[in-house]
Amino acid sequence: MDGVIIMGEAIFRQKNKQIAVNVIAACGVMTPRQFAGLGKIAEDLESSGLKLTSRQTVIVLLEEDKLPAFKEELQILGLNISPFGNSIRAVKACSGNAELCRRAITDALNIGIEIQSKYLGQPVPDDFKIAVAGCPRGCTDPYCADFGIIGCSRNLYNIAIGGRGSSGNPLHGRTIAKKCDQRTVFQVLDFVLDKYRKFAEPEERLCKTISRLGIEAFTPNFQLPEKNDVDEEFVAFLTSGE
Amino acid sequence: MIIRSLNEIDLQSIYKHLEKLCANCDKIKSPACKESACLIGFSKRALRFSMENGVLDIPGANKLIPTRDLKTYYPETVAPGLAETCRQCRQCQDNHSPNCVIALTRTCLEYTTLSQEIDYPGSVFQYLIKVKEQNKTLSELIAAAIKT
Repeated sequence: MDGVIIMGEAIFRQKNKQIAVNVIAACGVMTPRQFAGLGKIAEDLESSGLKLTSRQTVIVLLEEDKLPAFKEELQILGLNISPFGNSIRAVKACSGNAELCRRAITDALNIGIEIQSKYLGQPVPDDFKIAVAGCPRGCTDPYCADFGIIGCSRNLYNIAIGGRGSSGNPLHGRTIAKKCDQRTVFQVLDFVLDKYRKFAEPEERLCKTISRLGIEAFTPNFQLPEKNDVDEEFVAFLTSGE
Repeated sequence: MIIRSLNEIDLQSIYKHLEKLCANCDKIKSPACKESACLIGFSKRALRFSMENGVLDIPGANKLIPTRDLKTYYPETVAPGLAETCRQCRQCQDNHSPNCVIALTRTCLEYTTLSQEIDYPGSVFQYLIKVKEQNKTLSELIAAAIKT
């Protein structure tokens, strides 16, 4: 691929002959040590700059001969270089969880990190992007992802597939499952990936496979559990003491 | 340094208006006072739940609004509370959630005086136009209370 200097890793040659190394963290979350450490390495290796990406990763600009040293130091910090090519990419997740965003109605960050840990870099016919949002506001653009997970109630998610954001022909994903608990989200993801690997032509993005075969081919054929979307804690709170 | 803070939402200020309504209710402190079955009581519970849990959305809560509360309420007593929900509203536009605790309170207060539920348009200005279509007096009272 033009500009990629190591296949499988997101390292790209730039117009100015430098390389851009794409560093991945846990859905964009770094510890202060990692954040400061990355800055220190970049400074020590005379990076000309760092840039935040739309997938919640960090690009570090370097001279190519600094790459081995950079990789070594990155490993010490517990950070990695993002995969590239026909693989599952960095998961985008909003800050919705029990401690952070007040707008979130369910966890997004923790499940996003869990999904990234399990699926990152797995081979697929074309790039496969996952986004998780903790409420329907969708700050992480879940309808623009191949697999979008949208919090709809406490511990429940809707799932949309076939979105494509960064493109001259953008598409919104279509909902294939509603009110899924976390376990079911993983089941549906496995199901969609299995069908995608089975049915897609080489280098065919999921949205194209869907338009060729129909959304039915990717709609889970197993029973989704029936879930009540009313916050049960609130129900208990509402009637307590009466 | 606070760049942008949702903490600026003052749920307590809405709650105070609801307490004033309760203070004038015949059922207050009687066995007949049942918050889950009362539009004002429901709003207070939702606000307390929100403040205690640090959440602004309560999934599915709008399905639990006690629409069978037929107690008599007057526009002049309800308007200040509605105005406060307008003041606290972040005007989420397309991202408006009917389960936002501010929206829940507003909906409950609407049920006390309006015959039809208002599909909140996501902005205060458009909201006042919709209220006016149903109750001109209430719309004027809310607008006046917002200015104070």
